[in-house]
Amino acid sequence: MRYHLDLYIRLVGVQIRSQLQYRASFLMDSAATGIVTVLGFLTLALIFRRFNHISGWTLWEVAFLYGMVEAAFGTMDMFFSGFDPQNFGKQIRLGLFDQILLRPVNATVQVLASDFILRRLGRIIQGLIVLGLAFANQDVQWTLGKILYLPVIFVSLVMFFGGLFVIGATITFWTVESIEIINVFTYGGSEMMSYPMHIYQDWMRRFFTYVLPGIFIVYYPALFILGKPDPFHMPQFAYFLSPVAGFSVLLAASVFWQFGVRHYQSTGT
Amino acid sequence: MPKPIITVKELQKHFKIQKHRRGLTGALRNLASFHTDLVRAVDGISFTIEPGELVGYLGPNGAGKSTTLKMLTGLLVPTGGEMWVNDRVPWKERRAHVAKIGAVFGQRTTLWWDLPVIESFDLIQHIYQIPKNQFKQNLDEFRDLLDLDRFINTPVRSLSLGQRMRADICAALLHNPPLLFLDEPTIGLDVVAKERIRQFIRFINHDRRTTVLLTTHDLSDVEKLCERVMIIDHGKLLYDGALADLAERFGGNRELVVEFSEMYTHPEVEGAEIIQCEGLLVTYGFERGSITASELIGRLSVKYRIHDLKVREPEIESTIRRIYEEKLLE
Repeated sequence: MRYHLDLYIRLVGVQIRSQLQYRASFLMDSAATGIVTVLGFLTLALIFRRFNHISGWTLWEVAFLYGMVEAAFGTMDMFFSGFDPQNFGKQIRLGLFDQILLRPVNATVQVLASDFILRRLGRIIQGLIVLGLAFANQDVQWTLGKILYLPVIFVSLVMFFGGLFVIGATITFWTVESIEIINVFTYGGSEMMSYPMHIYQDWMRRFFTYVLPGIFIVYYPALFILGKPDPFHMPQFAYFLSPVAGFSVLLAASVFWQFGVRHYQSTGT
Repeated sequence: MPKPIITVKELQKHFKIQKHRRGLTGALRNLASFHTDLVRAVDGISFTIEPGELVGYLGPNGAGKSTTLKMLTGLLVPTGGEMWVNDRVPWKERRAHVAKIGAVFGQRTTLWWDLPVIESFDLIQHIYQIPKNQFKQNLDEFRDLLDLDRFINTPVRSLSLGQRMRADICAALLHNPPLLFLDEPTIGLDVVAKERIRQFIRFINHDRRTTVLLTTHDLSDVEKLCERVMIIDHGKLLYDGALADLAERFGGNRELVVEFSEMYTHPEVEGAEIIQCEGLLVTYGFERGSITASELIGRLSVKYRIHDLKVREPEIESTIRRIYEEKLLE
């Protein structure tokens, strides 16, 4: 454990150093990934100028979801980039996963440490700014519980998205041709969760409740923190399922991942 | 008798290969049902390797060399048979196993693409938890033998193929593995680079007593390095023995070049045929097994006056090519 943590820090440190080597390009990249977030939010704001509400939610209420999801997805992308299905699929195709198996280190730790994208800080910061604006422009009835719950929601989101990346990466052990479909789940999933779940059709919402419990990750916590009514009349504890749901998805993903590694060892590529 | 470092019994690896039907209807049918072909990449091979041996593993493309190597290094789980390397079953204890072997797969680097070579070595020290003085001692020695100094601070992506191979071989040995797997270590290199790598392999084997198993396409590697060769084709082991015996058994015709003291027209002799006649120099071809060189020389010296002579052995390269092409071992 100690050894793996040590090694992880060392491997990630090497990458951060090499990424900071070109300062100008690092700053530009960070700004660019951030600008995507800001532009997305401005588009959202423009829509609200015409409609004022989306299904009973104001711009700043949606901004809570949006900022939270953006910052968390950016954080996940920074840490879990090694599992980014697109990257990982390429590694599999080039046979680089063999090199990982040739080293006497836990394979998961190596993949996790194989790519660390510091410039995602741009996206994270912009996401946090949107979140800050969301709080500044509405009256939230703050309690100690709500304040303590915020970082929990954040970590749950990171675990949830991380789980999706790991599942996507694992699928590339079987097929590298379906990257686009996998991206629909990872990137599409984060896009969906930036908006209130009750705007979606029933089948989609059911999918994100019972199959992939995304609805509990940020939507239900948002109902609790912003004091919005629950249109689906779930029991009250649904507000607090965020960490359970996030952890379960990551856990299921890692079981699937282990299975994938074993499959890889029995078939090669 | 020391215990073998590698024991392989009836090892098998079968792959199911998906058949792809072509065209749009084919693609749709692929989705509906998977048609698979069974490929026996490794089909029941057995051998043992003793500590300190340097063994060449030969075979044409797709013969099963890489698959065998992947199983021995713990990357692949066998379909059947048994295998112990360093007293371990490689795929069962992958991490403990790979800590005790070195492996270089010629086409791919184990080094970090963007890092200077020396920093990759530092990371390897931490990964294998190599004691400081052992690391320093090995690095000093290997740097010298492999002539790494000129590019040790260069990022791996900017190295030439030969430099990268030398760095990779060094990296694979820093943790003093008792066993080294080399897959095509000289592929694509020029003569000088090849020779340097061969010398280093010889050093590692002789001076460090490292057991080496190497696959190669370049038979001069084998000729210069290995006493023992194993030949695999279609997943089966065709030959396992001394390189010299291989030439003995399948070498084809030997040649005797004779320089006579005086001119003869058609200086024929029983048991050999004249291949070339150039003034005083005559080349005879004769079959191994039917007549020995000394018998032939005896017969010739009775009939003619000989000034000088030389026996030519067939080259190993043509021998092995004949084995593949004429399927002499099946």
